[in-house]
Amino acid sequence: MFKKFSSEDVSSQNQVKASVQRKIRQSIADEYPGLEPVLDDLLPKKSPLIVVKCQNHLNLVMVNNVPLFFNVRDGPYMPTLRLLHQYPDIMKKLQVDRGAIKFVLSGANIMCPGLTSPGGALDDDALAETPVAIMAEGKKHALAIGFTKMSAKDIRAINKGIGVDNMHYLNDGLWKMERLE
Amino acid sequence: MAEKPQSVRVLYCPVCSLPAEYCEFGPDFEKCKPWLIENAPELYPDLLKDSNDKEADKVSEQLKSVGISSSGGDGTTTAAPSGGTSTSKQEVKRLPGGKIKKKEKQEVVIEKIVRNKRKCVTVVKGLDLFGVKLSDASKKLGKKFATGASVVKGPTEKEQIDVQGDIAYDIVEFITETWPDVPETAIFFIEDGRKVAAA
Ligand SMILES: [Zn+2]
Repeated sequence: MFKKFSSEDVSSQNQVKASVQRKIRQSIADEYPGLEPVLDDLLPKKSPLIVVKCQNHLNLVMVNNVPLFFNVRDGPYMPTLRLLHQYPDIMKKLQVDRGAIKFVLSGANIMCPGLTSPGGALDDDALAETPVAIMAEGKKHALAIGFTKMSAKDIRAINKGIGVDNMHYLNDGLWKMERLE
Repeated sequence: MAEKPQSVRVLYCPVCSLPAEYCEFGPDFEKCKPWLIENAPELYPDLLKDSNDKEADKVSEQLKSVGISSSGGDGTTTAAPSGGTSTSKQEVKRLPGGKIKKKEKQEVVIEKIVRNKRKCVTVVKGLDLFGVKLSDASKKLGKKFATGASVVKGPTEKEQIDVQGDIAYDIVEFITETWPDVPETAIFFIEDGRKVAAA
């Protein structure tokens, strides 16, 4: 999604009104309960919350010029990788084997066998259609944010095809957009 | 309410911007290596081993050259000792200067690249090695040949000038006239993948 993303894909930047700000905050808190205690630091009530609308129904949530979350249409908010790196335990984790790393980093979706092979790992509580952190064999930090196409149990059982859509990965356009002025 | 989670600080590589552990999958691992050796050696033990070997060599070389020049006492600390130990003579010669390492051959290479049959681009590499400012040179070339010329990063990350059109045969004269520091003997063409002297 962010493979060729840049500031040129931004169509508008708006400070949202208080009610919208509250709604965004609430849905982030619901999706990531682990983040709630630090939400006041991340999205300070007195700093304006900017919603950046981009091509393809993509929105970024930004504070002080730093993109923190993104979503598509009305879909769930997902943290940027830089934010996830700071709070790694807010999402369920799926792990790809080492061989899959280079494919994930070139933007490919995550195939089931990369998750079920000996180097992979699955959190059985991960359901279908939810944001997950994509980890990698032998690495400490996440390399991508994914959106599951099937549950972890189905990934294991079906074991073929795309298990997780690759939403955002290291060195993609969003990663490179550390700040948006 | 739950405890505030402690935020994790990830070590990011300033060269490729990725977490240091992902440099090996980054766009140019080679470029990250020097920084990694300094700042994240535990992530790449092999790298450290390689560099330790080299580092050890370096230190012993330096010791040797220091020892020699001080005993010589003629103050030529930067020059290689002429009567140095035969085993390390070559390395010593390279090291005191430090930066010499791999000296680039001073030459200008001109290559014509044909794009879709008629259109072609003449690529000029190496003018910078003669102290020519590439942005300047590109403007002059564009003007002289009434065409588009631009400074671009070449495949090996070195800057080169791309000139639209086939100007390969007039360009030698223009270069030697405009920049007298560039001798004709240092200009080469690439023809059918072979390097041919222009002179
Ligand atoms: Zn790096």
